[in-house]
Amino acid sequence: MIKQKSTNLPVESQPEQLRLGTISYVAIFLGLIFGVMLAPADRLWMFAIVYLIVAGIVFPISLKRILRLKMLILWIIFIVPPIFFLGEIDRSIWGIGYSSEGALASLQFAIRLLVVLVTVNGFTAAIDIVSVAGMMERFGMQGLGFSLGVALNLLPTLQQSSLNTWHSLRMRGGLRHQRWRGLQLFIITVMTNTLRRAEEIALAAEGRGFSPEHSRPLPMKKGTWDQFVIIGAILSIICAIII
Amino acid sequence: MKFKTRELVTLAVFGALWGLDEISVGALLKSLNVPFSGMFLAAIGLLILMIGRIFVPHKGSSVFIGAIATILKLFSLGGPVIGPMIGIMGEAIIAEIVLSIAQKPSRLSFILAGAAGVFWPLIQPFITGPLLFGLSLFSVWLDLLDIGNRFLGLDTSAALWIVLALIAIYWIVGGIAGWLAWDIGHILQVRLRRDTIDVTL
Repeated sequence: MIKQKSTNLPVESQPEQLRLGTISYVAIFLGLIFGVMLAPADRLWMFAIVYLIVAGIVFPISLKRILRLKMLILWIIFIVPPIFFLGEIDRSIWGIGYSSEGALASLQFAIRLLVVLVTVNGFTAAIDIVSVAGMMERFGMQGLGFSLGVALNLLPTLQQSSLNTWHSLRMRGGLRHQRWRGLQLFIITVMTNTLRRAEEIALAAEGRGFSPEHSRPLPMKKGTWDQFVIIGAILSIICAIII
Repeated sequence: MKFKTRELVTLAVFGALWGLDEISVGALLKSLNVPFSGMFLAAIGLLILMIGRIFVPHKGSSVFIGAIATILKLFSLGGPVIGPMIGIMGEAIIAEIVLSIAQKPSRLSFILAGAAGVFWPLIQPFITGPLLFGLSLFSVWLDLLDIGNRFLGLDTSAALWIVLALIAIYWIVGGIAGWLAWDIGHILQVRLRRDTIDVTL
């Protein structure tokens, strides 16, 4: 026997209202980047601590990402040379001479780099490509969402097609004697394939009646805290300038 | 900036091609620490951009291609992308300005756009270094002299010669990219109009 309860359709739960929308993430990203750029050198550490706390709360995964070995090596490559090569060598530690001016510059550089890396990594992980395209469409780049969709879907095909062309050219000895001409032919073949594919996609889009003038811009995630976050980001930039 | 469907698709494929170049070749060159990698990437990117401009010869098309490539780079895997992103957008904006000033596309305007665009990676560290990373202009300048010393064999005291040599190299490479873009773009136009044609390079 069918129970009365099972005949009822389950009530759809309301989608959870986001606190931070796309515009919030962009505001935080710009606020932190411009803030750390404009912060005075003598108070940089103070701003950096605040910015890293904000970045840690908003983009929790990005701090973890930064601590990967690849990032640490990159950091060392950037930070270490100024300690020894910038300014005069006026101090020493364990018998190794270093420049105090260079060490100070390196420290500042390290702090700025840390904030920038955490923010950029967190930003790219927090927002999706559709939201970015939607936002740029609203700022006057009409049709960008459609173009970006086409570009994204084309990436694997283009990569394969370019690789096939390269291998065919190489296997037929196209790069042995007339290398310059071989390279030109490679570019022409890749471009021809690309444009033929573009033609097919354009025909398909037109066949479906797509028109950039009449299409809706891509959706953008809206959050309940968007307005407060924008004000906060503006204030953070103003503070970095004034303080 | 309003484009038709066909133009949007054309811009998308050229943007995808530039993005692909930055994601694959760019990541490889940067990880191998190849000297002048920024210059080569800019030359390839601008070559693609200017060929795209031949097919969509409207104001804003270069920036549009640059925006697509930038967004693709933003979402690519790998290390810090803010430098390359600023680089791509900077090159696209410079090329757009030069090509828009020229109004009618010509070989000369392409050469100038290529030279100006490829020149950007040379001056970008002077802007992003102090602004983003707090580097002093002096340390960026020292890096530039070091490049001249290592790869051109010029002494660091000959600062003027190093700068002039680097400017000349960047402009020549950019000019070649512009020249090639003009030629290849027109060959492609002919090739796509008639499938069977003898292409003489």
